[in-house]
Amino acid sequence: MTLPSQPLPLALTMGEPAGIGGEIAILAWGLLHATGPAFFLIDDADRIAALPGAPPIIRIAAPEEAGAVFPTALPVLHRPLPHPAIPGLPDPAHAPRVLGAIEEATTLAMAGRVGGVVTNPIQKASLTAAGFRHPGHTEYLAELTGGGPPVMMLACEGLRTVPVTIHEPLAQAIARLTPELILSIAIPTAAALARDFGIAAPRLAVAGLNPHAGEAGTMGLEDIQIVAPAIAALRAAGIAATGPWPPDTMFTPKARQSYDAAICMYHDQALIPVKTIDMAGGVNVTLNLPIIRTSPDHGTALDLAGTGRADPSSLVAALRLAARLAAHRAVEKDPACVSP
Amino acid sequence: MPSNPGTKPVIALAMGDPAGISPELTAALLVDPAVREAADLIVIGDLRLLEAGAKVAKVEPALHRISATDPIPEDLSTPVFVDLAHCDPAGIEIGRVSEAGGRCAAENYRHALALAVAGRADAVCFTPFNKAAMRMHVPGYDDEIVFTANFIDFHGPAREFNVLEGLWNARVTSHVPLSGVAPLITRAAILDNLRLTDAALRASGIARPRIAVAGLNPHAGDGGNFGREEIDTIGPAVIEAQQQGIGCDGPFPADTVFVRAKRGDFDAVLTMYHDQGQIAMKLIGFDQGVTLLGGFPFPICTPAHGTAYDIAGRGIAGTGAARNALLLAARMSADMRRTRPAAVQSAEAFRAACAA
Repeated sequence: MTLPSQPLPLALTMGEPAGIGGEIAILAWGLLHATGPAFFLIDDADRIAALPGAPPIIRIAAPEEAGAVFPTALPVLHRPLPHPAIPGLPDPAHAPRVLGAIEEATTLAMAGRVGGVVTNPIQKASLTAAGFRHPGHTEYLAELTGGGPPVMMLACEGLRTVPVTIHEPLAQAIARLTPELILSIAIPTAAALARDFGIAAPRLAVAGLNPHAGEAGTMGLEDIQIVAPAIAALRAAGIAATGPWPPDTMFTPKARQSYDAAICMYHDQALIPVKTIDMAGGVNVTLNLPIIRTSPDHGTALDLAGTGRADPSSLVAALRLAARLAAHRAVEKDPACVSP
Repeated sequence: MPSNPGTKPVIALAMGDPAGISPELTAALLVDPAVREAADLIVIGDLRLLEAGAKVAKVEPALHRISATDPIPEDLSTPVFVDLAHCDPAGIEIGRVSEAGGRCAAENYRHALALAVAGRADAVCFTPFNKAAMRMHVPGYDDEIVFTANFIDFHGPAREFNVLEGLWNARVTSHVPLSGVAPLITRAAILDNLRLTDAALRASGIARPRIAVAGLNPHAGDGGNFGREEIDTIGPAVIEAQQQGIGCDGPFPADTVFVRAKRGDFDAVLTMYHDQGQIAMKLIGFDQGVTLLGGFPFPICTPAHGTAYDIAGRGIAGTGAARNALLLAARMSADMRRTRPAAVQSAEAFRAACAA
């Protein structure tokens, strides 16, 4: 018989060192050190120690040391920057370390040495200047893990949304919408809800594209011609999918009780409800990867860096959610490991 | 001539679709202390329906009943009920869309508009219509804006605004397919909407309105990476409006602009399309919102919610949004009757309106 083991720690990446990543990591440790989940930071330990409000910091040599350290000090896997980071001023010379932290965290997760990866926000422009050629963080992780295609979920208390189209002009997103595209997002979402969220029979609510979901074709035909066939295909595949729902009423508290995730047709359809419900505590989850990955749903906040005004709520929620997802996956891998 | 200079504004309140919560809502509004304090009421409908609604709402409103042809009395201290006696409750099935219901609501509304056009009322309010029922009665019925503009022969720009306590939403496009939105986002359209929004906010009592303008694309286009409408059209329109003295700013990413407005940074958000605003507004105040038909010579307000067929006749419908609609109409009346052009209240217009 296997004894219930201590959950694996989470790896938190440095992110853009000129941004708020270090500050919110410190604040998150302050909020979580007594309760967990335990995490360690892959960053320059000297830079973290020099930040205002820094707690005791212990350099660890391996993730396995993090759990014991975490209640009393912030564990840091020390990866020194070539020269000091200046708040608000990203430096392309730091790009190799920023990317290195992501790679290292991913490698540790792939090897089963951390429960999951939580990523601090990166500044894409300064990485691009250093030769980074991926469209974003998420695509980079997909390549590193050989998984995917990655599916982006936004989660806050009481609502999970998954956009089918994301970072592209609205007109282009609409033109690209097909039943196949919706299925390519909805099917992995249902699978992830079952595997990572522990929802045995996930219920998907699929949003319409047009106002009032097209109102029977009087305001656009996509809901009839594209969204409804996708829903029929999902149902045929045994997934409890409903819709197309009028987008403006499907996110109210009462409506939200009837589904586990909303499949949204475009970026703002997914983002507006989450931000309106919880501006500070929304979490970005990457589904359909071999590893658990979450991140705060804000950017590097260069303008706030060094001011001490950064809000760690989203990072804390990202850490907590990553731990929950990791626990579900651990159970799935080894059903004997169920905590008492 | 203003109807009641120096005293309370007069609101013509048209009863909406009789198969929904309109009868009980109207009855409840007639005894609502805040509404009675803010305005004098002329209610238009069928008395039998109102009496049925009063029973459901368990209220006993005091009324001065007159017929459609009687002159409106000068003394409105007791609410006047214009009994069109045109809609027998026996012919209306609760919760069912019907041509009779659409006709009843449309006739009440026309009569209320005619009272405002004639200067006998300062504002018009109505309890919810059922769009399908309206379409049965008025072939080609599009929305309340078009219906109203046609009926009172109004050719200026008019728009629907959604209003929650302290937060307004106006939109450049509304009930059009999402794929049709981008071509409608023009500098002229944005400027028109900013002017209307600014004027409506001022009329509601906000001295220096602050309007946020949402972008069209994710992250407001992210500097051109996710679309160019913000750079080519929306941004320049905002600057032009600022130069005209309108307190506006943007374009802002649509996913956070309402959060900023809600915490007090702005009085209104101008959105580019229907759901960009409606998703947030319905989350912020699902059952308290007011729809204002703005741009007309007098304020026209209605609760943002629908006919609520599913709960009609049970006496459980909330009155908050309808009350807010009347209170907003009352507030705006005071300002608008100062500035309204007298020409819109000609006797001819009134006669034409009544004949239609």
